[in-house]
Amino acid sequence: MQSSELISEGINLMLYGMGFVFVFLTLLVFATGFMSSIVMKYAKPVPVVPKNKPAPASAAAASNNDELVAVLTAAVHKYRAGQ
Amino acid sequence: MEQLLSLWQGSGLYNITGGQFVMIAVCLGLLYLAIVKGFEPLLLVPIGFGGLLANIPEAGLAMSAVEQALHFAKPEVLAGIANAVGSNTLDPYELSRIVHEAKPSAYQAAQLIAQDAGYSNGMLYSFYSVAIASGIAPLVIFMGVGAMTDFGPLLANPKTLFLGAAAQFGIFATVIGAVGLSAMGIMDFSIEQAAAIGIIGGADGPTSIYVASMLAPELLGAIAVASYSYMALVPLIQPPIMRALTTPEERKIEMVQLRTVSKTEKIVFPLVLLVLVALLLPDAAPLLGMFCFGNLMKESGVVERLSDTAQNALINITTIFLGLSVGSKLMAEKFLALETLGILGLGIVAFGIGTGAGVLMAKLLNKVSKHPVNPLIGSAGVSAVPMAARVSNKLGLEYNPHNFLLMHAMGPNVAGVIGSAVAAGVMIKYLGG
Repeated sequence: MQSSELISEGINLMLYGMGFVFVFLTLLVFATGFMSSIVMKYAKPVPVVPKNKPAPASAAAASNNDELVAVLTAAVHKYRAGQ
Repeated sequence: MEQLLSLWQGSGLYNITGGQFVMIAVCLGLLYLAIVKGFEPLLLVPIGFGGLLANIPEAGLAMSAVEQALHFAKPEVLAGIANAVGSNTLDPYELSRIVHEAKPSAYQAAQLIAQDAGYSNGMLYSFYSVAIASGIAPLVIFMGVGAMTDFGPLLANPKTLFLGAAAQFGIFATVIGAVGLSAMGIMDFSIEQAAAIGIIGGADGPTSIYVASMLAPELLGAIAVASYSYMALVPLIQPPIMRALTTPEERKIEMVQLRTVSKTEKIVFPLVLLVLVALLLPDAAPLLGMFCFGNLMKESGVVERLSDTAQNALINITTIFLGLSVGSKLMAEKFLALETLGILGLGIVAFGIGTGAGVLMAKLLNKVSKHPVNPLIGSAGVSAVPMAARVSNKLGLEYNPHNFLLMHAMGPNVAGVIGSAVAAGVMIKYLGG
């Protein structure tokens, strides 16, 4: 019978399959890391907004500095526009 | 007197075959495991009961119209069916083999002739065609699983994806085992069947059923039963392997606390995953697509009602039909074969190798990563959410009562789900044409 053929087919499947799973998940590690770094850089206030009421968040920020207020306001607008 | 005789000849007792008797005992065994021992009762109760129904003599609940016609073997109907599939034999057994190998168009023709003669598809056969043969039930369940999954721990420590990848080694090693058994002439598995058996090592019920329905529907019953039974046995199978491959010092390693993950990251992640699937492996798109969709419904927070339905009502309804349909594959003539023992044996090997590969990968990560990694979380890479993660946690607590590994192990756990879906996609791509 072509039993050696069957085995070589199995080994091919293993190499191809394992290789692909690793390549895919490695890319996913990088893609996830990249996504997280972008999200953390640009959209930091977003997680704050849905949890707290927007008003107290900006009120608290007002006492800190103008830049933070600007960022928060922009985020709030974006969040509201998105709704 | 004659009526009495025909009543007796139509009774289950008169018609029961030895195989059906054994299968009814097996199904009662499954029900016992589910009800008394609490093994995956949500699936084993419907599967066991479906199996009971499928083995009721003469009722033919799991048979298609043409199979019923062949079973009752009226000469004129047999002649019609033989004509439809282009054969001239009138032997029901020979004809049954020919019908099952016939092209879909010829099979449909035979089916119509049987229906004309007054036979109809059995109830379980209809469930099977709708739920599993179409691929729908495993995919809907995968959507519900997606809606229940929290990717937070994975996003906090993406490196754990490597553990989910390593644990898939069990799948492919088992494929080699299955073709090895065939090559040595002990069993007779084709490469497609070997692949479908291997996927048991992914410890993911819906994925196993999906792959088996695509590549080896004839083995589906045994594969599904093996897959769900071993998932229930995770707390027994994994710990000895985990202990054997780690030192007590390694088991005591404490891991740094996970960072908090923002809502935006959780919303974007399923989309990133889907884009990657679309770019690299469209064959995994049905499974991972539904998974990502379910997860997006949950994380977006704007479709609470849909997410709630996906993870409760819908998944429950689907589980009922999936279980009964799998049960329909527990018919004596299909299940009672040497191959079933081979599948059960290979399945547990697949599980063990997957666990071992995950632990070894975690040891490697511990060596190269700047934060310590406890090798016990590697075993969670075999999916079986959340059972495998709980096993890691429990074992960690045994050696260090202040070491809570649960959240750390959830990362590789959900990575394992992604990994086995990717492995399934690769197999379907490689073997499905």
